[in-house]
Amino acid sequence: MTSSAYVAGQGQAGARSARRLERRRLLFWLLPPVAWFTVFMLIPYGMLLYTSLGHVDDMRFIPGFSFDNFIRVFTVDPYLGVIIKSARIGVMTAILSAIVAYPLAFYIAFHVRSARAKFLLYLLVIVPWWASYLVKAYAWKTILGSGGILNATLQGIGLTDGPVRLFLYNEFSVVLTLTYIFTPFAVLSIYAQLERIPTSLIEAARNLGADGWTIFRRIILPISVPGMVAGAIITFSLAFGDFVAPVLVGGPDSVMISNVVINLLGVAFDWPMAAAIGVVIIALGLLLISASGWLEEKTQTRF
Amino acid sequence: MACVTRKWKQLLTGAVFGVTAFGSSAAMAGGQLTMLVWEGYADKSFVAPFEQESGCKVNAVYVGSNDEIVAKVMSGGGTADLISPSNDTTMRLINADAVSPVDTSKVPNMADFLPQFHNPKWLTKDGKVYGVSYGWGVIRIIADPAAVPASTDTLGFLWDPKYAGKLSVWDDIETIYMTSRYLGFKNTYDLSDEQLEQIKAKLIQMKPNIRKYWFTTGEMGTLMASGEVVGGTAWESTLVQLRNAGKKVLDIKPKEGRGAWSDSWMIVKGAETNACVYPWLNYVSSAKAQALAHKVTGFGYPNIKMVDNLDEKTKASYSELGMADPATLTNVDWWQPVKRRAKYLEIWNQVKAASN
Repeated sequence: MTSSAYVAGQGQAGARSARRLERRRLLFWLLPPVAWFTVFMLIPYGMLLYTSLGHVDDMRFIPGFSFDNFIRVFTVDPYLGVIIKSARIGVMTAILSAIVAYPLAFYIAFHVRSARAKFLLYLLVIVPWWASYLVKAYAWKTILGSGGILNATLQGIGLTDGPVRLFLYNEFSVVLTLTYIFTPFAVLSIYAQLERIPTSLIEAARNLGADGWTIFRRIILPISVPGMVAGAIITFSLAFGDFVAPVLVGGPDSVMISNVVINLLGVAFDWPMAAAIGVVIIALGLLLISASGWLEEKTQTRF
Repeated sequence: MACVTRKWKQLLTGAVFGVTAFGSSAAMAGGQLTMLVWEGYADKSFVAPFEQESGCKVNAVYVGSNDEIVAKVMSGGGTADLISPSNDTTMRLINADAVSPVDTSKVPNMADFLPQFHNPKWLTKDGKVYGVSYGWGVIRIIADPAAVPASTDTLGFLWDPKYAGKLSVWDDIETIYMTSRYLGFKNTYDLSDEQLEQIKAKLIQMKPNIRKYWFTTGEMGTLMASGEVVGGTAWESTLVQLRNAGKKVLDIKPKEGRGAWSDSWMIVKGAETNACVYPWLNYVSSAKAQALAHKVTGFGYPNIKMVDNLDEKTKASYSELGMADPATLTNVDWWQPVKRRAKYLEIWNQVKAASN
């Protein structure tokens, strides 16, 4: 009895010390991610929120606890209007990118047989990213401008008499440039989803007498929706926060929210207001990511 | 800024440039100069000869805005010995007692300055001068003589429907100042809400004429050269760029006046004891050093004799712009501190966001 109780007690103590050791080890492994999260997420976001609740008086930051800046974002021109405009440009970019990207992703996934050719095409999609964003945006300037390649061609073949000025310096050129620059992201995420479709599924459908269009409409398209959603979220976010395209190819109306934030930081030195816009956008972003996560989950097909 | 932010910024600057540890105390000991300046204001081409001549080592930290200078200087702690703020910021620093008066007798090269830059009002308080003028410029009103009559003498042409989609003005609150001058407001730098609303309406009225608000001086040059626009506002460098490319450009002198900016070297309080400060101030005021600086920035410089040190081509374009002629500065509206700059910017953003 005593001896067995002693053994049991020892076993318990051993388990406890093992657990303690385990806990210590857990702490050791948890520390890096927690530290990373604290340094790169919690502290910056905390500082952003702290700044947004204060105000600037004569170029000096006065800490406070006031929601005035947030109220201003929603009530004073032009902040909310510019956020909506940026969102509109983001949505158009996302839709256009998906439309441009889908056929290419489809082609790479289903029509390119050899792995080599697949890799090559894949590479060609990524290669433009080796060139600087600025260079690509400037390229569109030279294509779309009054004396640009497009206008020269149109006049050369006699379609127009004078230069068409509608191509450049407006929302159209901004969306076009952003679409061109961010489409690779849509291609990659749609392609990743299409790759997952088992060929057996398509063969089975074919055996059952489905034609190509039916297979696309009833099998491929529904399965690829999560990839499109993921691609759209990336392209939307990148386009929404862009500040270079409106400056380079935008017109007099093409001010986007990041441009306003830059102005507030640099010209006006109104960091609290800029921080408030940042907090609002982060909140909107979280909402968007939650919604898209839910949508991806809901549209995901299980095999 | 926030103490937190400021500390972080100092830490960052310190980490990047390694200056926090030095500051003015080290400068005194080892013959060092730490300066917060615009890019191009401590270029190697003219800093190197100075370092050789004087034995003083120059540490330059580039800043992106006047506010950055103010924030850094106000935070104290010997961040810098010399700064180069613009005329819309100098008086703020003087009033805050953050800078020391300049003993102009120790800067003999100032004798060759254009008269406007000896003791301009943005550097003078209680009879003392608080800075040495440096880079300056006038916001030019330019136009293509093929489209705009050379006799134009008012800003009014910017609103002429004849130029629909054919103009470009600076994406900056200077455009608000310009409209204020056009509307005849005398308090351009301290406008009331009502006046700002009038200016906003006027600027929205100009929008159909605007092809694009330019962002860099080079961009305006490209817009003009490619025929996208036929006129608008510009810096001197834009005119030089266009004229060098063989394009004829009008340099319109509107009766409403033109905006003008001027940077100055100022001594941060306490740094006047640094033995390197005055040698530098005198050196950068010399015709030779300013000619080298002009080559880097393309700005105007106060030393009249600078022109003699330029090559023939640069000399010709500089003279054509009237940069060595005091008469150029007769009808200019020097920038002043704007207390409600955030409000001005908000109005400007409203103008840009408005669609019509």
